[in-house]
Amino acid sequence: MKSRSFLLFVPIALLAAPFFLAPMTVIGIESFRGKAGLMDEYVKVFSDTGIRAVLMDTFYVAMMVTLVSLLVGYPVAYVLSRLKGPMATIGVFLIILPFWVSTVIRSFAWMILLGRNGPVNVFMEYIGLIADPIRFIDNGIGLMIAMTYIMIPFMVIPLLNGLRAIDPNLLRAAAVLGANPTRQFLIVTLPMSLPHVAVGCAIVFVTSLGFFVTPSLLGGDLVMVSMLIQVQANRLLDWPLASALAIVVLLLTIIVFALLRGSQLASRRKGRAVTGIQS
Amino acid sequence: MKMSEKMIWAAWERILRALVTVVLIGFLVPILVVVAVSFEPKTYLSFPPSGFSVQWYVQFIHNGDYTSALMNSILIGVAAASLATIAGICGALGVIRAAAPGSTLVGILSVAPAVLPQIVLAIGLYPISVWLGLQGTLLAVIFAHAVIGLPFPFITVCGALTAYSSRLEIASMSLGANYFQTFRHVTFPMIRPAVIAGFIFAFAASLDELVLAIFLSSPATRTLPLLLWEQLNFQITPELAAAATVILVVTSILIFAATVLPRLSKRG
Repeated sequence: MKSRSFLLFVPIALLAAPFFLAPMTVIGIESFRGKAGLMDEYVKVFSDTGIRAVLMDTFYVAMMVTLVSLLVGYPVAYVLSRLKGPMATIGVFLIILPFWVSTVIRSFAWMILLGRNGPVNVFMEYIGLIADPIRFIDNGIGLMIAMTYIMIPFMVIPLLNGLRAIDPNLLRAAAVLGANPTRQFLIVTLPMSLPHVAVGCAIVFVTSLGFFVTPSLLGGDLVMVSMLIQVQANRLLDWPLASALAIVVLLLTIIVFALLRGSQLASRRKGRAVTGIQS
Repeated sequence: MKMSEKMIWAAWERILRALVTVVLIGFLVPILVVVAVSFEPKTYLSFPPSGFSVQWYVQFIHNGDYTSALMNSILIGVAAASLATIAGICGALGVIRAAAPGSTLVGILSVAPAVLPQIVLAIGLYPISVWLGLQGTLLAVIFAHAVIGLPFPFITVCGALTAYSSRLEIASMSLGANYFQTFRHVTFPMIRPAVIAGFIFAFAASLDELVLAIFLSSPATRTLPLLLWEQLNFQITPELAAAATVILVVTSILIFAATVLPRLSKRG
């Protein structure tokens, strides 16, 4: 059985070699084929002020979206993890439902909601919060609201799994030893959920870096790196520059997941040191 | 613990629950807004809608662009999800049951497309689909979507395989069944719910994918998200909202299928 078991990998190899590994190789090679020398495109990526601004904006938007998703997602996951029976099912269903709606449609929904005469502006004018409609679509705020809306399920699901896995006996033990609910949360729930916070943040951050649909529709003047790559390749036909940008995004993705893996390994080692248990 | 402290905590918990309820219900608002504006009788969007009319749905049905885009999307989705599911099942069997050489690499390869920004794959796939003479054909989009769909069946089937003991398969083979008989009569019935769920997730990923479709398709092979995207960049009309609502209904049926079918097949 062992000798021929590698045959099971043939379908994946047939799919991944030409349509996943080869494309990665192509952009790697293409990125070094700038007109003025091997590293030309990479020098351009990091020295051109326009490109640097796009990379900084992308980073900023991804950070903000990750932060707000965590601030909203953590309480949601916490409350959902403590619900039982049909309420828990309904709650999880409500979180997952928008997740299934096409990203194009969800971005379209926010174009309506945040438009100059959209419901959000009309409502805020009505209650007297603002005098003139806010142009959400131009200032990047609309983009971040829509992206956060789209990314929250990616944050809530790993958090919810993590919080549900915490043994309730630990909380009971803390209570018996005199910890009040706030302290129980701070010394048991919060530290035990941190690895899952890291997973959620990594997924949200990396996905946000690569966002294309929402920034194109709601970004206004704000350009994110995926849009820049698309324009360079599709309209300006500057494939070496587009490839170099793609490699930068790819490396960022790998770095984020390497950091995540590193922190997981480190915390596992620490856990063993504290408890003396080999897991 | 003092009584007052307990009451403060209980009040806290109630406030937190109320806030989370508001957030969860708020999650539905954007979707409901799209549905509401699709019944707009005028030719431009307004909220709340100025009346009720189904004219945009009638126009949607008679618009040949939408019908052909929908057909393309379904064809691509089914083909891509099938390829992804076959590759995913084989890969999961190889990694979990056989621990075949190269398992680590296959594991990384099968999950990476889920986190890789699609624009990166699109940039690399475009020249390759030109070289292979696939550019602009349905096949180009099918293979690309099979790659991004692969993580779903791979992950669900790996999960299902680790959930039961391989002794079942060993027993089957020691009783004289060959690999195929064992798979057909032992393994497949055990992993069927995971296979169905993985297939539907992969199909949904294809149905939602835009960036690869922008790079790899031609006007004849345009998918539904691509058509919506082109229209959104051109002009926003209530017809778009009607199209979005139809897609919403179709996806809702899919979610229902994805959550209910695996349970039914487990019972049957």
